[in-house]
Amino acid sequence: MRPTPIVCLMLFLLFMHLMVPALAASDSDEDDDDDEVTFKDFTLDIGDRIDLGDYQMELIDVQSVADGLAVMRVSKSGGALDEQRAFLVDSANNFDGGAESDGVTVTVTDILDETSVKVRVEYRESLGTARKRASERPAAFPDKPQILVEKSFDKNQIRVGDEVKVTITVKNTGTGQALGIAVQDLPPLPEFSYVVGYPPKIKETLDPGQSDSAVYVMNAVKEGSIRVPAVQVSYTDKKKNSLSNNSDAFNIQINPKSRAELAIDLEGPASIPLEGEAYVNVSLKNMGSAPATRIVVEGEIKPAEGLAATNLDRSIFEIPPGGEENYSLRLAGSSPGDYAIRIQAGYDGGDGSLKEEASLKVAVLEREYKYQYLLLTIPIAIVALWMYRRYREYKY
Amino acid sequence: MLNVLMLGVGQCGNRILDAINKEAFGGSSASKLAKYYLKPKFPSRVETLAINTAVNDLKELRFTTAKDRLHVPNLHGVGANRNVGKQAFMDNRDMIMGEIEKRGDFDLAFVITSTSGGTGSSFSPLLINELKRQYRNITVITVAVLPFREEGSIYMQNAAFSMRELMEVEAEGIILADNQYMKRFSGDIASAYDKINGMIAQRLLFLVESLDSEMLSVTDLGDFKTVMNGGLRIGTMGFYQADSKNLSIRDAIENSLKPANLLYPANVTDDAARAMIIIQGSREHLDVDEITKEVERLSASAGHVFKGIVVKKGRPKVLSVFTLAAAPELEGIYAQAARAMQDEKERRTRARKQLDDAFAHIEDLEEIY
Repeated sequence: MRPTPIVCLMLFLLFMHLMVPALAASDSDEDDDDDEVTFKDFTLDIGDRIDLGDYQMELIDVQSVADGLAVMRVSKSGGALDEQRAFLVDSANNFDGGAESDGVTVTVTDILDETSVKVRVEYRESLGTARKRASERPAAFPDKPQILVEKSFDKNQIRVGDEVKVTITVKNTGTGQALGIAVQDLPPLPEFSYVVGYPPKIKETLDPGQSDSAVYVMNAVKEGSIRVPAVQVSYTDKKKNSLSNNSDAFNIQINPKSRAELAIDLEGPASIPLEGEAYVNVSLKNMGSAPATRIVVEGEIKPAEGLAATNLDRSIFEIPPGGEENYSLRLAGSSPGDYAIRIQAGYDGGDGSLKEEASLKVAVLEREYKYQYLLLTIPIAIVALWMYRRYREYKY
Repeated sequence: MLNVLMLGVGQCGNRILDAINKEAFGGSSASKLAKYYLKPKFPSRVETLAINTAVNDLKELRFTTAKDRLHVPNLHGVGANRNVGKQAFMDNRDMIMGEIEKRGDFDLAFVITSTSGGTGSSFSPLLINELKRQYRNITVITVAVLPFREEGSIYMQNAAFSMRELMEVEAEGIILADNQYMKRFSGDIASAYDKINGMIAQRLLFLVESLDSEMLSVTDLGDFKTVMNGGLRIGTMGFYQADSKNLSIRDAIENSLKPANLLYPANVTDDAARAMIIIQGSREHLDVDEITKEVERLSASAGHVFKGIVVKKGRPKVLSVFTLAAAPELEGIYAQAARAMQDEKERRTRARKQLDDAFAHIEDLEEIY
């Protein structure tokens, strides 16, 4: 069978199609001596561009640092080329056939951050020299969320048994919308028992400047110094970039439970003379953090005979924390000996009934003869003088 | 109250006076330290004065105060020489009498002396005269102590002459105590002297107490003078304290007159001229009938007997004072003294002759050098 003319035409065209580039290539090979392909690396911020002959390559956006996507616009004077394309890192993008075909090949070699990338431009030297043109307009930052998280207690001084409100505050201080906000607070501490509100619930989306908070209530159950761990918040921006932040960890002190603590102080002489009087100052001081109420003071002296005291018993309505109540006992000793004055105070200390006691030892002295030694020395002196006088009287 | 002066002259007199002062502190029961814490307790106002030319004799005294010791400065004693003693007294008469005068006025004075020593035997007669001259109404009794017979010729000679002078002065009487007689006390010489001195002191103070007491039956100083003026004006004293086994007052009186309880050997029944019996004791022991019978029995031999009864709690005590109508013992002393003096004289003549014979060997010779 003889080929048809159509087939022959098609074969011719195919031949031509294959041969013309080969001829052209052979021509370019001849030109390679002074028109080689070269490349140049640039660091571009958003808005910056590279000028190369009629080409302009501008960084429009960094779409995703994580995914390695940046958006660049490549255009050509005269409007022959104007294309905005997403560039994948390390993936060459040819324009006008690429550098091998008198076009340009643009590759994003690295995405530095949300606003800057590294770009390599490959081109024939005949196109000229690639130069970076910094953007004259202010850098247009991309909308980016910035979530600040804070954890606070409503009390500075916490005592065992106190109810504490814990507030988790989340605020978007960035320029972009935060999405998928999730707060991660640590499980309950052994020093607290949670009452209500845990886990804290925060809006999942916060527009720039918007904030949200959650409160939960705990009871302090154990005293001690506690390190409150940081609260972590995780979110994404519109570009699905995962972001996170956390609050500062801090210390709190849980003090023992608030209650009154009476201290009784007895001040008086260690001894009093027989038939003499003395005063004992009684001081009731509330050293605790709660008022002591319904205080009943009772006193007794052992042995009961020989030392009398007034004001041994009395009632006091209240002694506030840090407060003090003072009064005096008047002692009168009628029989020598050692005595113990015991003062006992029963009171309501805010944590049930409490008792406190103190004692003071007082000696009633034997009748004191201030110059008792004279009882011995004077008679001896008199006798000695008498005997000396007699000696002199009889000495011859 | 009687004002009594007791003068102890010479060593013997000083010691008896010291015993009297000791008796005032409690007698033999008094400790040596009694004078430091007790006051002497005399029955009346009694002033004592010890006079001596020997200062060492005065220093020996223990119970006599210093102000009651009068030293008559004459070397250290008169050496038993009565002539020296008399001269020393005369030289210091004013000083001695001045010391006595300082002690006030007196009703009764005892001059206690040994008859044999130097100071006592020579001072006492002169002192008695001075007392009589100075105190017109004073009764002076000499308590004279006779020496041991073997003490030596000078002592015997002194005793003889001293006794004669004492009897010649105007004293109301002499109470004799004879050392020889009391030699019978056992023990060493010091304790024997102490015993004799104690006995004399006890009797004298008992006498003073009795004369100054309110008696059931009264005797006083006048009666005592009458007794002492009786007989030879020489007397002695006896004393007896009944023991618990025999409280009979009659026996006590009898015992007080027995030789064993006298100071001088005398036979009361035969020799007593006048007597005084002073009885002291609890009322229940003082049986008046017995006392009367015994006094009557004594009166039958002694002439007059004064009796004094002092009621005082205790066992019966009896003091008998009597004067003698005869003193044969004294005659013996004088005879012995005379012999001793004669012997002394002969010894001295012999010695002189021997010395002269010895000197004769160098007669007509000159010392050659």
